[in-house]
Amino acid sequence: MPDPRIDLPQGTLDLLILRTLALGAQHGWAISERIHHVSSNVLRVQQGSLYPALHRLERRGWIKALWGASENNRRAKFYDLTPSGRKQLETEKTEWKKLTDAVAQVLGTA
Amino acid sequence: MLSDLAIRLRALFRRRAVETELEHELRFHFERQVEKYVQSGLPLDEAMRRARLEFGAMDGVKEDCREARGVHVIETLGQDVHYGLRVLAKNPGFTVVAILTLALAIGATTSIFSVLYAVLLRPLPYRDAGSLIVLNETTPKVGTVSVSYPNFLDWRAASRTFSQMVAVRQVGINLAGISQPERINGYAVSPPFLSMLGVRPFLGRDFYAAEENAGAPAVLLLSFDLWQSHLGADPNAVGKTITLDGRSFTIVGVLPSNFHALDKTDLIVPIGVWTTNNSEAKERGERGDLDVIGRLAPGVTLPQARAEMEGIAARLEKDYPATNDQFGVSLTPIRDQFVGDTRAAILVLFGAVMFVLLIACANVANLFLVRGAARTKEIALRIAFGASRSRIIRQMLTESFVLACFGGALGVALAIGSIRGIARLIPMDMLSGAAVSVNGAVLLFAAGVVVLAAFIFGLAPALHSTNPNVQSELKQAGRNASAGVAQNNLRRALAITEMSLALILLVGAGLMTKSLYRLMEVNPGFRPDRVLTMEMDLRTQQYSNDPAIINFWQQVLDGVSALPGVESAAVGTVTPLTDSHSRADISIEGMAELKPGSYPHPDVHVVSSGYVTALGIPLLRGRTFTPSDNEQAPHVGMINALLSKRYFPNGDVLGKRFRFGHAGEDWITIVGVVGDTKLYGLANPARLEVYVPFRQGANNDMVLIVKSGTDPAALTSAIRGVVASIDHDQPLFAISTMNALVSGSVSTRRITLILLGLFSALALTLAAIGIYGVISYSVAQRTHEIGIRLALGAQRRDVLGMVLTQGVKIALVGVAIGLTASIGLARLMSSLLFSVSANDPIIFVGVALMLILVAMLACYIPARRATRVDPMVALRYQ
Repeated sequence: MPDPRIDLPQGTLDLLILRTLALGAQHGWAISERIHHVSSNVLRVQQGSLYPALHRLERRGWIKALWGASENNRRAKFYDLTPSGRKQLETEKTEWKKLTDAVAQVLGTA
Repeated sequence: MLSDLAIRLRALFRRRAVETELEHELRFHFERQVEKYVQSGLPLDEAMRRARLEFGAMDGVKEDCREARGVHVIETLGQDVHYGLRVLAKNPGFTVVAILTLALAIGATTSIFSVLYAVLLRPLPYRDAGSLIVLNETTPKVGTVSVSYPNFLDWRAASRTFSQMVAVRQVGINLAGISQPERINGYAVSPPFLSMLGVRPFLGRDFYAAEENAGAPAVLLLSFDLWQSHLGADPNAVGKTITLDGRSFTIVGVLPSNFHALDKTDLIVPIGVWTTNNSEAKERGERGDLDVIGRLAPGVTLPQARAEMEGIAARLEKDYPATNDQFGVSLTPIRDQFVGDTRAAILVLFGAVMFVLLIACANVANLFLVRGAARTKEIALRIAFGASRSRIIRQMLTESFVLACFGGALGVALAIGSIRGIARLIPMDMLSGAAVSVNGAVLLFAAGVVVLAAFIFGLAPALHSTNPNVQSELKQAGRNASAGVAQNNLRRALAITEMSLALILLVGAGLMTKSLYRLMEVNPGFRPDRVLTMEMDLRTQQYSNDPAIINFWQQVLDGVSALPGVESAAVGTVTPLTDSHSRADISIEGMAELKPGSYPHPDVHVVSSGYVTALGIPLLRGRTFTPSDNEQAPHVGMINALLSKRYFPNGDVLGKRFRFGHAGEDWITIVGVVGDTKLYGLANPARLEVYVPFRQGANNDMVLIVKSGTDPAALTSAIRGVVASIDHDQPLFAISTMNALVSGSVSTRRITLILLGLFSALALTLAAIGIYGVISYSVAQRTHEIGIRLALGAQRRDVLGMVLTQGVKIALVGVAIGLTASIGLARLMSSLLFSVSANDPIIFVGVALMLILVAMLACYIPARRATRVDPMVALRYQ
């Protein structure tokens, strides 16, 4: 079976995390599962990059962490969007849109 | 950004909690993943294996998270310091040697820097000191001389490049009426003096502008020290009167404690006090102890000011040919005036001590390399566990830094301990009144040195032992080869560097030794042994006429000559090497009239009959003075050999006559010719001299010269007693043995030599240790090879030669590089040298041989060890 996964382009992981958290607070594992499912099993976030990214976003103040109970009732660290994170998500979405449109345009005309 | 700070701070101060959370968070993820696989039907062990594979190295993820949180640098620094301390504690031998080496070098560097700072860098206690310029007159016959007061007034009136200009006239004052009469040093200054320097009186007022004029009231400002010592720091001192030289002065203020004029200052009076009834102030040809200080107008450069002043001097020369012919002007920034000619010595010493520091760093780097070789396994292991190269380099640098900090702390302690000794060793005139201390600037410098040193000796080994090539080489070579070719090359390069730096220092020390030796061989023209000198300056109020003055000196001579232990006693002016001078034009009878400025301009000694005997100045022709050369007798004089040779080349000199000035004075008959004496330093050529008997030229300020049969200094109190019995208010000052004056005149050179010698000995020792380390390490590495050679029949002699050759090669390359560099560097110290070329071949060859010899000795021990290798053991060792 050929591997359907593709590597994430630089900088898109933050966007994906913010987008996922826009639906509600989640812990790390759920975030990676969700991205995996929503992308039809194409995008797979490695833990090695997920957690440093979460900690980085937290430091920037775009997400905040809180401890809560997981779906199977265990203590887990949940992340949630902050207001500035929400703004950042909008900015990044627009940027992304611009970028993909531009790339599509180039690919279409060339 | 607040969240950023909060997270960083939390991570820093609640590290444990943050770590636990991180651990918990990652474990949760891992377990959920395992659960997921188990739910999808995998057996537990397979599920865990897959999850672990996906997860990768847990530690790596943690590390990345820490980095993402941003406390990484500080936190790992803490870890590294901790780790470094542990590593250092585990190798006490290495640590002690490295720290001591660094401490010696950093201590020496810090001490010398504190001197350099005090003399060359310390901010002067004046406002905008950079635009303060000291002005003097110059004449080709003498060089720089004092300024006459009328010339100063004309300079000040004509100059536009100076916004302010003041005269500063040194005045010696006898302070009497207390326990022991003493001599204090004062300045008569133009009233704007303090305000121009930007100095405010600590108490009381500054001088008024009107106090410049003759007839000014007798007011003064006391130094802070004198106010403390003589007035008990009386807060109501202002308005009180004190008596100086029999005159009553009103205290109008006290100077601040850090005040320092061009020389030690006990008090200042307005120049109007000095000009009152003072003929010297009106005579353009009188140039005695008066300096001029000016402040450059805003935007004016020194060359502009110099050009203007030279123009003014040239105009005065034309207007007043009788007094100003060939007199120019010199401008010196006030800092240079303070520093004088010690700049070169201090810079040479600082350069030397920096070399010592570099050698010490090279040595410690070598130690690190040896230890790095022993630690390669540890490093390889850490790289295998995912540590990045930069991370390991950072950690090794931290270790060097910790080591350097210990070395630095100990070094600064050494500097603080030795600074008093060094300050005492260094002559006062070299320090120009500056206090040498380990102050903030010095500590900052020491901290800089520590950081620099840590980088110098830490970076090369760190880069080296983490070098991927070295690492793979090590893996291949197995357990025995703990260092490869690259490392040996690096270590050899370090040893070569040490050798060449040590050679440069030794050349410097060698040149200084030879200079000082040559200088001490110079015949000063007199015999300084067992001679005591002391100065007295009679108060003009009590001793206002010649008979009173002559009577006082005669009584002193009679009293002192009668003391037991005194061989002979004399008085004289302008004693050699004391910085005192009194020069005058003379005209010689029968010579064609000269144009002003080209008359002979000898130093004038006014002496009693025993002077040349007491000082041991040889009488070459004729006779010396006798007691009968008195006021009533015909005027007689003696001249020195140089004057005789230059103006009486045919030797027909006795009975010839000269007179002071150009006309009008009495003729003086030459009755004797004596040898030249060195008045202005042993390194300087002799000058023209004339002598006249003190009874025919009464002088208030004279030096008493006592030749004793034993230790001259023991006579001091007896002589004080004699003087006190004649006039109990008369202070004696500048008490010194003639030998001390001679050695004091070369003290800058001597101290430079002592310190340079010390530093080069240190450098040589360190370099020897360095080369010893390289060779003995290489012998240890080559044990196997040497064993094979011996097993195959090589003689022990061959092995010895082989190892020594290795050492000598290093030494030779070091010597070659060092010699080349020395040729350039030695020239920098040529101003410190005396009758020695900066490229003296004997010194260069001698030093090179010495260094090679020391290198061979250092290599001999490991070479001997190599010859004792047992082939069987060595072969089994592999």
